[in-house]
Amino acid sequence: MAARTRLPLLFPKNLPPFRNQRLAHTEAAVKEPAYPPIIPSLTAKSKSARGRQVDEQVQKICASPVEEKISLITRIQRMKFVVYPQTFARNADTWYQHFTKTAYIPGLPEKYTLSPERDTGGEEEQPAAAQTTVPGVGHDGFTEIRSLVTRVILQEHWQLRNRAPFLYRKQEQTVGPFLRNLVTGLSFSLAKYNPLFLSSSLDIDPNVHFYWRRGQTIIPKGHRRGRQEPTRFQIDDRPNSQIRITEQLPQFISLEDSYAAEVQEVTLSPSVMPLFRRQYDNNMFTGAKLPDPACYGHTQFHLVPDRYHRDRMARLQQSDQVEVFLRANALTSLFAWTGAQAMYQGFWNHEDVTRPFVSQAVITDGKFFSFFCYQLNTVALSVETDANNPRKNLLWGTESLQLYDSVQDGEVVGLNDDVLKLLVQFLMNKQ
Amino acid sequence: MPVTRVLYPLYQLGNPQLRIFRPNWFLTLVRPGKEQPPDTVQFRTPMEMTKCDIKNYLVNIYNVPVGAVRTRIQFGSNKKRNHRNQKIKQPDYKVAYVQLAQGQTFSFPDVFPEKDKTPEEGSMEEMEQKFMEDEKQRQKLDPRRGGVTEWFGL
Repeated sequence: MAARTRLPLLFPKNLPPFRNQRLAHTEAAVKEPAYPPIIPSLTAKSKSARGRQVDEQVQKICASPVEEKISLITRIQRMKFVVYPQTFARNADTWYQHFTKTAYIPGLPEKYTLSPERDTGGEEEQPAAAQTTVPGVGHDGFTEIRSLVTRVILQEHWQLRNRAPFLYRKQEQTVGPFLRNLVTGLSFSLAKYNPLFLSSSLDIDPNVHFYWRRGQTIIPKGHRRGRQEPTRFQIDDRPNSQIRITEQLPQFISLEDSYAAEVQEVTLSPSVMPLFRRQYDNNMFTGAKLPDPACYGHTQFHLVPDRYHRDRMARLQQSDQVEVFLRANALTSLFAWTGAQAMYQGFWNHEDVTRPFVSQAVITDGKFFSFFCYQLNTVALSVETDANNPRKNLLWGTESLQLYDSVQDGEVVGLNDDVLKLLVQFLMNKQ
Repeated sequence: MPVTRVLYPLYQLGNPQLRIFRPNWFLTLVRPGKEQPPDTVQFRTPMEMTKCDIKNYLVNIYNVPVGAVRTRIQFGSNKKRNHRNQKIKQPDYKVAYVQLAQGQTFSFPDVFPEKDKTPEEGSMEEMEQKFMEDEKQRQKLDPRRGGVTEWFGL
């Protein structure tokens, strides 16, 4: 009943005026204004929107399980450079070192060079016998291995009567089976000394694939002309054989020590190398699928094909390219293998490896053996992630060492024990 | 004579090796359009030369240690038209990228270096240049006018 109440003409706002003075000595709780965070739009046609889309994609990939991670990273097909580990290109190793951010260190890591000194220092009774033993494998074991190797060499080069090989098929016909028999025999006989081999997996003629991005180029032609595009690379490798193990090999050098290594930078476009671009499925494969327990790599064995055999290179007066070829082969094959292993563990471009991945390789053309060790310290090779990345990958390698001189009258002449010892040491690498 | 299979002097296994003693081919060393690695030299060669021909040419005549040769044929455009609307063809040519062996490098020299344009003392060119500078100075307006033209004024 508004007419009955006697309200003043000017209606006061606080009515009654002193009702809330009970709380006069306390201050009202000051609430800070909570605005939503100012982030760029997701769908606008602007650089910040594109940046935010990229960030969202990166976070989505980081949050997903490993299988989905791999499929999200390799989903989109675009033109990419196909890197062949066994290439005819000259000076390929400098180029490949730049693509994979690897520093080459001649000689093997301390693990393999210090052991002879330890041997001769510890066992002083029989210095002659000490030179022919490997730590972990006794003298008898070594003689057994030596007889196995002579047997394998004689099998292919003396006992088996092959028909005259077709053009450029000699290595495939003779040295391929020799290497396979050697690897299977050695891994079986060394299983009693190296417990890793008991639960390992030996692959014959496996596939190894890896896909990565490194560097930027300007798109020369097309509707996206003038814009920056990351250069993509793919390696598809077929080693002769490889050994995969369930536990990871120990690192040769800590991550921090790799900061000092220097990688040769090449500013030219890879197409000048010559390297060619194609577009097809981006694959990442270690040699076995994801659920396989033997997901870490131990050793790969590669065969030098007839086309790059040192006799042919000598005929073409390109003997200096032989070592270059071997180094480039080891570099790319091992980078692809260790990169794929890291990928299977969930490390990728934006989530760099927390521990180094180590693998080894032996490249041979039947008589000459070269040994290589690779340590993968970083997978973050694209432009955004490489800007402040001091880590480098490392490759140690030897020159080619001759295993034996020739096979005459059912005897292997000039079997080099040092090379055998190095081979056994390589296979004996364990935790 | 009935038409039998005509084989040009192609090389077949067992033929004597084809030797050319005074080739009528001339290579042109050019500056690469796109940057090449330091051991690569770029040539323009006649269309009939093959990679083996180029290698043998450089090795035997010029004693250049050649590592590898790669060739491509550049199509000369047929797009331009003359005043009669006929298509004008630019000739095709073959480009060879030769990689040198034994660690040798080559960089294309600067064929037109920039020369200092100051003439010598007491020569005709110096007097001419000085005369021209004086003339230009005379043509300029009074700087005290601050760029205003002489249309106005007395």
